[in-house]
Amino acid sequence: MTDRPNGAWFDCLPACETSLPCGTGRHIVRWEAGELRLLSHPDPEAELVLAALGGEKARCVEVAQAWRRHTEDLSVLTIGPRGPADEIAVSWSDVDAAERAAQRGPRPVPHPTSGRVPRRLMYGTPPPTVAPGQPWAQAQPRAQAQPGNPEATEDRERAARRRNDMLSLLALGYGFQVRLIGQVAEAHADLPEEAMEKIRPSLVAAITARLAPVAEEWLGIDPGQVVLTLHRGPGWGSAELTGRGEQRRLRVSLPASWLARVWAAGLTLTGRHLVVAVARPGWPDARVLALRAPGTEPVPLDVHATDPDPASGGLDVRPDAADAPHWDI
Amino acid sequence: MNREGAETFLRLLAETKLRDQLAPDPPPWAGGPGAGRVKVHVVGQALTAVGALDHETVEDVLADFDLAVSLRRLHGPGSSGSAGFMRAAVAARLSAQLQPGRPGPPASTGPPGPAAPPPPDHDPDQGPADRFVPIGLAVPFHQGGLSGELYLMSFAHTGLGARLIVLWGKPTLSREHELGLQQAELLPVGLFTVTDDRGSAYELDFTHADGSDWISQINLRPAPPDGIRWLEVAAPPGPAVRVNLNPASGPPGSELPGDEPGVSAANLSAGEQLLIMLAEELLMAAAQSSPAMRPELPALSPSVMQAMGTGLGDIIAGLEAAGLLPPLSPVPAQLAALCASLRIDGHEIAAAPADGLPEPWLSLLTYYQRRKPDTAQVRDGFAALTAALPELDGIGLALVGLHNTQGTTVLHVLARGLRREERLGPHGVDLDFPLSFWLRDNGGRWHAARPIGWQPADPEHSIGLMLVPPLPRATAWVEVLAGGRSGEVRARLPLRWGSPP
Repeated sequence: MTDRPNGAWFDCLPACETSLPCGTGRHIVRWEAGELRLLSHPDPEAELVLAALGGEKARCVEVAQAWRRHTEDLSVLTIGPRGPADEIAVSWSDVDAAERAAQRGPRPVPHPTSGRVPRRLMYGTPPPTVAPGQPWAQAQPRAQAQPGNPEATEDRERAARRRNDMLSLLALGYGFQVRLIGQVAEAHADLPEEAMEKIRPSLVAAITARLAPVAEEWLGIDPGQVVLTLHRGPGWGSAELTGRGEQRRLRVSLPASWLARVWAAGLTLTGRHLVVAVARPGWPDARVLALRAPGTEPVPLDVHATDPDPASGGLDVRPDAADAPHWDI
Repeated sequence: MNREGAETFLRLLAETKLRDQLAPDPPPWAGGPGAGRVKVHVVGQALTAVGALDHETVEDVLADFDLAVSLRRLHGPGSSGSAGFMRAAVAARLSAQLQPGRPGPPASTGPPGPAAPPPPDHDPDQGPADRFVPIGLAVPFHQGGLSGELYLMSFAHTGLGARLIVLWGKPTLSREHELGLQQAELLPVGLFTVTDDRGSAYELDFTHADGSDWISQINLRPAPPDGIRWLEVAAPPGPAVRVNLNPASGPPGSELPGDEPGVSAANLSAGEQLLIMLAEELLMAAAQSSPAMRPELPALSPSVMQAMGTGLGDIIAGLEAAGLLPPLSPVPAQLAALCASLRIDGHEIAAAPADGLPEPWLSLLTYYQRRKPDTAQVRDGFAALTAALPELDGIGLALVGLHNTQGTTVLHVLARGLRREERLGPHGVDLDFPLSFWLRDNGGRWHAARPIGWQPADPEHSIGLMLVPPLPRATAWVEVLAGGRSGEVRARLPLRWGSPP
């Protein structure tokens, strides 16, 4: 294999569609070959100009803007799904409710140190409760919102936009969620070492989060016993099992591109093998490098994907985790 | 320092807590809803406290954690989608803990007062050596229906100017004033005069010394010149009280000479220092809620103490990941032993409990474990004592008096080299005062000291340190033990107790 994977990171991913409420109807949004396309809005740039002049911005256009804003946002890796079993179900009514809540503004939250609370009891004092199921009522700005505090207002608006962006992107469904994660991961995969120093913790946590449940399924190991380091340089990395009992560890070294090229494509565990790299990308046929067991050399496997719910399903399509492609040897 | 290791640890910890809490059957160590978030929060605070992470990084981790949890709990039980390992069956309560903002300031212990303005003719870094003189005298005053005493604890002359550290006694009011028929100025600052042995009178500027109305500094303007032998303080037409400024004479009535402070070197890591501060916070909380000190609050102790044990093991692991805690450090084992002694479960410290504990810790533990309330409650009073301690970690402390009021002992210090930023570390550790500070009384009991009141002034702060347990008035002398990362200072000081306020 070469040091740099062949082809684009998304070559093992088929196109994916969803419909969303836009204006008075429902419009199709399509992801294909790393791009988000608005099928009902042939000229979104012109619509943005009209919106800037006071016209209403179409939701499809807003979603495309949100997508662009977050294609390099490492928070997407922290918030997004860890795998098909971790589907995050956000509906468009949730998004609407969040936007309404943002327009109303936050409820005043008592300062934790206000009142006659003994200092030693302040810690652990239950903060104000919020109704269940309302994440939009929870994202707090860094600075406490107070009248006349522009920093707090700015923080609040930034937090609200970030939260609403995330909700909109998650409402697109699991298929889009994993593709966005892939895009974010790929954007950070080949950065110079000095840039990697700052983002490595996020990438290590993101890959660990997604590798650990796969390792549990592969070896029956506790997810907390998976130790990941970020691989740089030639080769695919390494994987070995060490220790016994509570000291047992699966020590894996993988490149950041694993998240985009393997995990996002749903290739992680194929035929009871852990896929560590893609040797020849493609859809629905690809060749991967996979481990039968830790400590062994990876073997090339030719794999074939079946898509249980192909794209272009019309206006009722919403790609959930059950629609994720399934790969077999 | 390994900043990358610190951030990686915190992010992986957040991931583990997310996984634990959202599991269909959370493991017992996951704690209740919110427990994981608290652990991430306290570890973030700890790593920020030692400089391994900045606030923004910790806030970002917490904000992402909060959003990740709340989104997965969005529709609660029975929501659409596959029922996977992340699907929680409880409503979103975790969100209630969302306060990713910077730590709030500690509760104020008194009304804020204006900072003592430095006299313009003094350069804090230049001029003669600082001078601290214990006094221990009372100045009576009468004004209208108001009578009382002003207790002079000490005289301090530093680069910031000259001042008397004083304590107001509780005034008595005439019947008309008590009934509210007449208004009285409880602290009649305008009554007082100060003159010196050369007949010069001084302009007086009263400021609250450390956040309490009853503790004041009387700043003298201009500062008395060198060679002045005494000052007279009076509230005319009452008698003047003469204050001898010759430190060799000591406080009146004092028979025990003080020792020169002794200094020994130390080499604590930032992580060890933080763990020691955490241990002392635990000890103080335990002692304050013990039956000996709070017989009326027997139920308070367990829950407060258990909460303070949360995340200690993760904090230690985080400090190790940041390279700020040596692998062979004895402090984690001592902290584990302390938790065991306090019956704190769930701290998750990996180290086996140490066999021995530092003597001050043991002394306070013994006090905590007393089942009977203190029969000899400390009586109100004040004590004259002064000492300028050698600098520790760039921090200079001068002790300028102490007083007992309503069962609480407060030691007054002037401090340089500190910054008042109201930074709280994990479990309420006051990061603005990064020293371990203890007093041992002549009976052998140790008393822990932590700030309860600040009057910030650049570059010299006036700080009130609360002693736990309080110091009995029978105490004839104390040994001060101040510890920093670079060393330890010990000084033995005589006390002379004055009139009850």
